[in-house]
Amino acid sequence: MASTSRTILICSGKGGVGKTTLTANLGIALARLGLRTVVLDADFGLRNLDLLLGLENRIVFTAQEVLAESCRLEQALVKHKQEPNLALLPAGNPRMLEWLKPEDMQTIAAMLEKQFDYVLIDCPAGIEDGFKNAVAAAKEAIVITTPEVSAVRDADRVIGLLNTHGVTPVQLVLNRVRPKMMASQEMLAVDDVTDILALPLLGLVLEDEQVIVSTNRGEPLTLNGSSSPAARAYGNVARRLQGDDVPLIDPSKEGRGLRAKVRRLMQKKIF
Amino acid sequence: MAADQNSGLLQRLVLPPIKQAHWKDTLPDQLQRLRPGSLNLISHHWEMRCRDLSSLIELLQGEGFRIASLHTQEPLTAISAQALGLPVQLLESDPMASDATPSDDSGDQSSDTKPDCTTQLRLHRGTLRAGEQIETAGDLLVLGDVNPGANVAAAGDVMIWGRLRGIAHAGRDGDRSAKVVALQLRPLQLRIADQVARGPDDRPQPGLAEEARIDAGDIVIEPANPRLRARMSIPATD
Repeated sequence: MASTSRTILICSGKGGVGKTTLTANLGIALARLGLRTVVLDADFGLRNLDLLLGLENRIVFTAQEVLAESCRLEQALVKHKQEPNLALLPAGNPRMLEWLKPEDMQTIAAMLEKQFDYVLIDCPAGIEDGFKNAVAAAKEAIVITTPEVSAVRDADRVIGLLNTHGVTPVQLVLNRVRPKMMASQEMLAVDDVTDILALPLLGLVLEDEQVIVSTNRGEPLTLNGSSSPAARAYGNVARRLQGDDVPLIDPSKEGRGLRAKVRRLMQKKIF
Repeated sequence: MAADQNSGLLQRLVLPPIKQAHWKDTLPDQLQRLRPGSLNLISHHWEMRCRDLSSLIELLQGEGFRIASLHTQEPLTAISAQALGLPVQLLESDPMASDATPSDDSGDQSSDTKPDCTTQLRLHRGTLRAGEQIETAGDLLVLGDVNPGANVAAAGDVMIWGRLRGIAHAGRDGDRSAKVVALQLRPLQLRIADQVARGPDDRPQPGLAEEARIDAGDIVIEPANPRLRARMSIPATD
């Protein structure tokens, strides 16, 4: 696996749909599968991938210093505390806006590809310069969206831009799915979304309060083997990326079984 | 190419070949020969980032010009233009995007009555996504879906072998006999010539191609199959 490195852009167009959460959790999940993984935070204006991974206080250098050759790449890479296979590289620091160019991102990605099996790029929201920088370095992409009209519209636009950039393959992760609301047709159904976006579905992530808890703690859900629905979904996305044939969950059957009920009960008791 | 036919309506500004001169040098001379107003910008292989493009737009605005649409062969320029909100057409390097096809389905009476010049057909393969836009001076055939937020316009008919969920404009130059046909006709908005209608809100019936045309001054949507036409009609909400 070491011979072929995969550079995957995680993008959505709209903000707040879960790009950074997916990047962090997917990074951990891939690392736990034994793959050398690096997450590159391309959102340097408003970076928060380091917060989600609990690595904020360990950042000394960024990709900008590496490019300026004022430090080596190894110095800028922040190793994760518990998961040694995972490293974080912030693209820049918030004070130096408009510093990076698409070519710089390509240079950095090329350096990372030599050392890692997976390079995950956390794309900023929007389709302006930050997006263009991030997309320049990417070979494939995961588009994440929620079952909302505005998020789907923005995702559609982003997919069009990815196509003009020749990024392929592009896969879809549908985040924050609420089975009950889908069943009562108060929310766009999975089919409605895949109908419009016409992309292969890489994962379905259920709405899960544990995500908020883990975000605030700086410990991604996939890290401690949590069995919460979102943690399992992120783990499955990682396995599917690796080529495992993991069946997608059926939102209409989710949360009905006895095991799910017991799990909910236990979570309520504990927290 | 279909795009070239626009020249009859709008003036064109063609940037010089990259190897000959920089557009910044030739632009003042070129603008002398045009009258202020809207123009189509043909940038060929010029690779323009947002900054270049916006400085070009500013230059043009200073002289009283407005870019109606941009035609380019460079994906990068197309992306910049999209980011700046300019209507853009990404041309393929070889002119195969459009070919004039003889109208061989003689069963369709409306295409027989039209003059030859508008039977030029532009073919687009693939889905049009939000923010994407196609315009043509002839008829338009899309093999794929037109998603919400996408925009298609043609001087002749608009035919969509897929689902129409964006905005379609047939008879852009005022041809009131133009039609919009789609396998599933659920557009956000329909325009034929100068008529505008919102799409129907009800769920589409599966397996029925539908067509929109102007009937007695209003846009109506009917099953495209003429035998079914007599039996049912679906009104468009005006």
